[in-house]
Amino acid sequence: MIDIIIDGKKISVKEETTIMDAAKKLNIDIPGLCHRSTVEAYGACRLCVVDVIDGRKTRMVTSCNYPIRKSIEVNTQSERVRKTRGMLLEMMLSRWPNVDMIKQLAKEYGIIQTRFIHPLIDYSSNACILCGLCVNACSEIMWEDIIGFAGRGESRRVVMPFEKHYDACVGCSTCANICPTGAIKMIDDPNQPVDSKRIMKYGSIIADEMALMDEEQCDMRGVGTAHLAQIMNDYDLFPTCNYKFGSHKDACGLHSDVFKKKYITQGLPDGCWLGCSMSCAKAVEGYELKTGPYKGEKVLIDGPEYETVAGCGANMGIFNPEFVLEANFYCDTYGIDTISFGTGMAFAMECYENGILNKERTGGMEFKFGNEEVGMEALHQMGRGEGFGVIVGQGIRRMKQIFAEKFDLTEEQIQFIQDIGMEAKGMEYSEYVTKESLAMQGGYGLALKGAQHDEAWLIFMDMVNNQIPTFEDKAEALHYFPMFRTWFGLMGLCKLPWNDVEPADNAETDEPAKVPGHVEGYVNFFSAMTGKEIDKHELILQSERVYNFQRVFNYRLGFGTREHDSIPYRSAGPVTIEEYESRAERYDKQLVEKWGYDIKGKTSGEKRDYLRKMRESDYQKLCDAVYKRRGWNNNGVPTIQKMKELGMDLHSVVEVLKRV
Amino acid sequence: MNIEQLKKIQTETLSKLDKYKAALMICAGTGCVSAGSFTLKDLLEKEIKKRNMENDILVVPTGCNGFCAQGPIMVIQPEGIFYQKVKPEDIPEIIDNLLEGKYVERLLYKDLKTKQAIPKMDDIRFFGKQQLIALRNKGIINPENIEDAIARGAYQALAKVLKTNKEDIIKEIIKSGIRGRGGGGFPTGVKWESALKAAEKKNEEPYVICNADEGDPGAFMDRSIVEADPHTVIEGMAIGALAVGAKEGFVYIRNEYPLALKRLEIAIKQAHEKGLLGKNILDSDFCFDIHIHRGAGAFVCGESSALMASMSGRAGEPRAKYVHNVEVGYRGKPTVLNNVETWANIPVIIDKGAKWFASIGSGDVSENPWNGSSGTKVFSLVGNIVNSGLVEVPMGITLREIIYDIGGGIPNGRKFKAIQTGGPSGGCIPADQLDLPVDFDSLTEAGSMMGSGGMIVMDDKTCMVDVAKYFISFLKDESCGKCTPCREGLISLFEILNRITKGEGKEGDIELMKEIAETMEVASLCALGQTAAYPVLSTIRYFRDEYEAHIKDKKCPAGVCKPLITYSVNDNCTGCTICARNCPVDAISGKVKEKHFINTDKCIKCNVCYEVCKFKAITVE
Repeated sequence: MIDIIIDGKKISVKEETTIMDAAKKLNIDIPGLCHRSTVEAYGACRLCVVDVIDGRKTRMVTSCNYPIRKSIEVNTQSERVRKTRGMLLEMMLSRWPNVDMIKQLAKEYGIIQTRFIHPLIDYSSNACILCGLCVNACSEIMWEDIIGFAGRGESRRVVMPFEKHYDACVGCSTCANICPTGAIKMIDDPNQPVDSKRIMKYGSIIADEMALMDEEQCDMRGVGTAHLAQIMNDYDLFPTCNYKFGSHKDACGLHSDVFKKKYITQGLPDGCWLGCSMSCAKAVEGYELKTGPYKGEKVLIDGPEYETVAGCGANMGIFNPEFVLEANFYCDTYGIDTISFGTGMAFAMECYENGILNKERTGGMEFKFGNEEVGMEALHQMGRGEGFGVIVGQGIRRMKQIFAEKFDLTEEQIQFIQDIGMEAKGMEYSEYVTKESLAMQGGYGLALKGAQHDEAWLIFMDMVNNQIPTFEDKAEALHYFPMFRTWFGLMGLCKLPWNDVEPADNAETDEPAKVPGHVEGYVNFFSAMTGKEIDKHELILQSERVYNFQRVFNYRLGFGTREHDSIPYRSAGPVTIEEYESRAERYDKQLVEKWGYDIKGKTSGEKRDYLRKMRESDYQKLCDAVYKRRGWNNNGVPTIQKMKELGMDLHSVVEVLKRV
Repeated sequence: MNIEQLKKIQTETLSKLDKYKAALMICAGTGCVSAGSFTLKDLLEKEIKKRNMENDILVVPTGCNGFCAQGPIMVIQPEGIFYQKVKPEDIPEIIDNLLEGKYVERLLYKDLKTKQAIPKMDDIRFFGKQQLIALRNKGIINPENIEDAIARGAYQALAKVLKTNKEDIIKEIIKSGIRGRGGGGFPTGVKWESALKAAEKKNEEPYVICNADEGDPGAFMDRSIVEADPHTVIEGMAIGALAVGAKEGFVYIRNEYPLALKRLEIAIKQAHEKGLLGKNILDSDFCFDIHIHRGAGAFVCGESSALMASMSGRAGEPRAKYVHNVEVGYRGKPTVLNNVETWANIPVIIDKGAKWFASIGSGDVSENPWNGSSGTKVFSLVGNIVNSGLVEVPMGITLREIIYDIGGGIPNGRKFKAIQTGGPSGGCIPADQLDLPVDFDSLTEAGSMMGSGGMIVMDDKTCMVDVAKYFISFLKDESCGKCTPCREGLISLFEILNRITKGEGKEGDIELMKEIAETMEVASLCALGQTAAYPVLSTIRYFRDEYEAHIKDKKCPAGVCKPLITYSVNDNCTGCTICARNCPVDAISGKVKEKHFINTDKCIKCNVCYEVCKFKAITVE
């Protein structure tokens, strides 16, 4: 910290703080036309000049970009400063006599008339004052360079390349939004919203947050979702060796900084949603493939996302980033989902290590955790439709059936593969360890389409922050979040800007997990787009209608009941003694404190079994609570009454539900 | 290649050159090339071949000789005979005379006063007062042949310091007192020291850059150095890189310098082939490479941060330098940027020692480089001067010596009025300051600056308001336009000056311009804007009466500003009718042998009558 004096007032600031920011803390107002917190200080308008007294020397500097590095004295209102600002304003006024902000500032400095006759005088009140905000916002907020300055000196102007309309501009409106004079206007929005200004207002909130806070929060622009690998490993949530463990000493090999430093070369907005300021999708360029039909070729790989890093890496016991990239490329090329591949392979590997599979059964492949060669070969077999890869490629639910039927397994072995086969409703688990979060187990198990976290991600709320301690609390969360997240699907919107960047004051709100500031944004976005005013309750109701309809649909097809909401025990607790003992302290403590179980003299096996009984029973209790909250019967089927309340008591729906 | 092999090339080349009876050094700088020196070289070689004398006479195309006004220039070594304005038809005669040990009289330089022919270059006053450091190899070596350069000692300085530690090299440079030749005059060694410290603190690899983006109108010092001796620049950069721990260097050179660019490319290639660039230079651990960046020729790109922006593929715009380039420069890494001439001096400082270098020039820099200006400075001397060309003189020499001894004074019997130094944003220094020593601090004190070394001499037919308007107009177009005071200040200054030269000046204009200038100086983003008003300020300082004549009396005393002058015929008129016959608009009437009369309504002030009149009968007021 450095002590400085501004206009006689003392303040202590961090090194490299700008004078303008320091002055702001003292409520000292310094004028400036070209500076916003969301873009790097440009120092072009020069109105923010102040006198800096450093020892015997006094020099004039621009406060927006002068970094404080030693104890200085600042004078923001000296005669010289006021005179200089006055002259600058007089110059501006002579060129742009009708721009409000210039007129107003000039008046404050006693400049009513100018002594110059400007050859380029522009009488428009919406004149471009060359502040550069639009150019810098396009580049720094949007990571685009659609507009820029052309010409030198008096011919300087803001243009698109070659002064022609540039197709790459998607009309994100960031420039129009930041323009202080209205020189840039949106004249046509191809989406034809009812109120485009309102959309711009809420859109720019996210864009500004991305520009200001993303690097410190999730670094979605820098590395994308892959930033999670390190965090998950730190919280013991990073699936390792088929979800046995949640962290690994070698996991640093898959941390995002490895990808960022060595592989990710694209720092550009992704085409997935043109004009997105988050632009989280990344690519690795010029990667030379080591295996498969394209061996030796240099390719561009889309990704990797977090799920791919965890699934095609740690979950298979592999911590080599290049394996992840190679698997990512071939999964994409063959049309195989990286989560299903990773989780499926992890299951097969654990089966192999436990004698359910052997070389004879796998066609000679050693399916051990960490075996990269086998990992790639199995993937290529899936692609070619040959060998044991074909069996793995059918997914865990089929693998379980096939192993049980073909390999003459014991009862115990059949139970084991049920416990460790990480699927629900036939879909492979995505890449989070849910053992210590009952709510998250529900998030996976109760999701309509199968074991996916896109309906609810409650681990931190539940396990880390303990915000939803009771069954009712968890049930409420398992009502709200799946409904809220379903809404993104209904609207065709991406969910990431909702909570992968958060408002600066989010932690101080009543319900930080919901990110109320952004919910308000989405409510406004819907209203501005359609012209139909809704509130946040209506937003949830919109989803509830669809969600319940889908559940009835599942029921009609023979699913959608409690039986189908069951989960493999690996997702609720330790299946093996090895697993129990690896986190024994945690489990022992829980047995004693939560369930009053006397662990004295008990073997790890006995303790594991008791824990299982308790946790399985808790899961059923959770289902009870969730069904109740959702207005479903005890078997998890929506009631006719509920459908009526939602206005979804369509004839065909009622017909199905009458059969219950 | 190792150091022994380098020495071997030197001795071998020297003995090879010794075998020739004579060497004909043809100036192949841009000026002489335009005057036909390449044709001369080809014809000379043909003639020598015809006479079967290839083993006796060597033809060497060299870099700029400096005496550009007299091109094409040929110097015959070892005697040092200086021929000027050589034409193809002179060739047989030159060789005939050479064989007989005589001179071709009419090609020799004639002394301005005595009108006597001076055969030897060293006896010509233009060269007499010069001291060559940066240009030590001009006219002596073929810049496209690395062996020529090695024969003259190139890369010996680098070899000398290869095993010296970084701090000691830097100490030597600081002790020499050398200050940046690009304009700012910042002590070079101090700059290197800061870059080294920043690089070590941040654990980053620094860069060295050579600024060859000479943008001042009329200046060609850096171009000539690169054209004459590219290896001294490369060697200087290599020593700098060694001192700060850089592995990569860049030369930012304007694309309008095709010859310099070509010679630099050849020199880099040859240095690579000889192991003087690239990996393990001279068998040491030192690795260093130089890349060329071609600039598109914007004046502002000579400013360091704009130059680096341009190198990064962005528009050449400066940024605030509260954090200096030595800390955060090119690609965000600590960066040492020096101009061509500074780099060219480095090998000599290392070779002859800091003490020797510090003894040249003005002030005592032994304790602190800021205490004076050591070494020499190259100037391009142009304008109303007899001997225009490139000169290298010790710092501290007076303006009078440069203008009268070297430059030969003002042509056409006119009077000296002012000298403009420091490039477009420099200032004009009047006659009563002719004894001002030319060094960084004296020039700044006088309201001008050293700049990169442009010197424009102006005679008494020069209007100082018009001069100020010219430079402001140049800067107005070349300002990048990013910051308000520079962009708008220059537009306003130009408008006011334009009004004044049209006779529309108003009471208070001078004060208003001073006010604008003050704002530009304190509030502009970069040095371009901070100094852009100097031409106005210095002309107001020394020639205020001329401004006042324009504003109050609506007169241009120098007779330049057309709206303010009138042409009339005075009593000297003999009625010879020559003016009337030459007037393009028939504005002059009068009978033979009677005084003529100019119709001012018709007169377009083209000055033809003034030029053709033999009796000084035309008055311009």
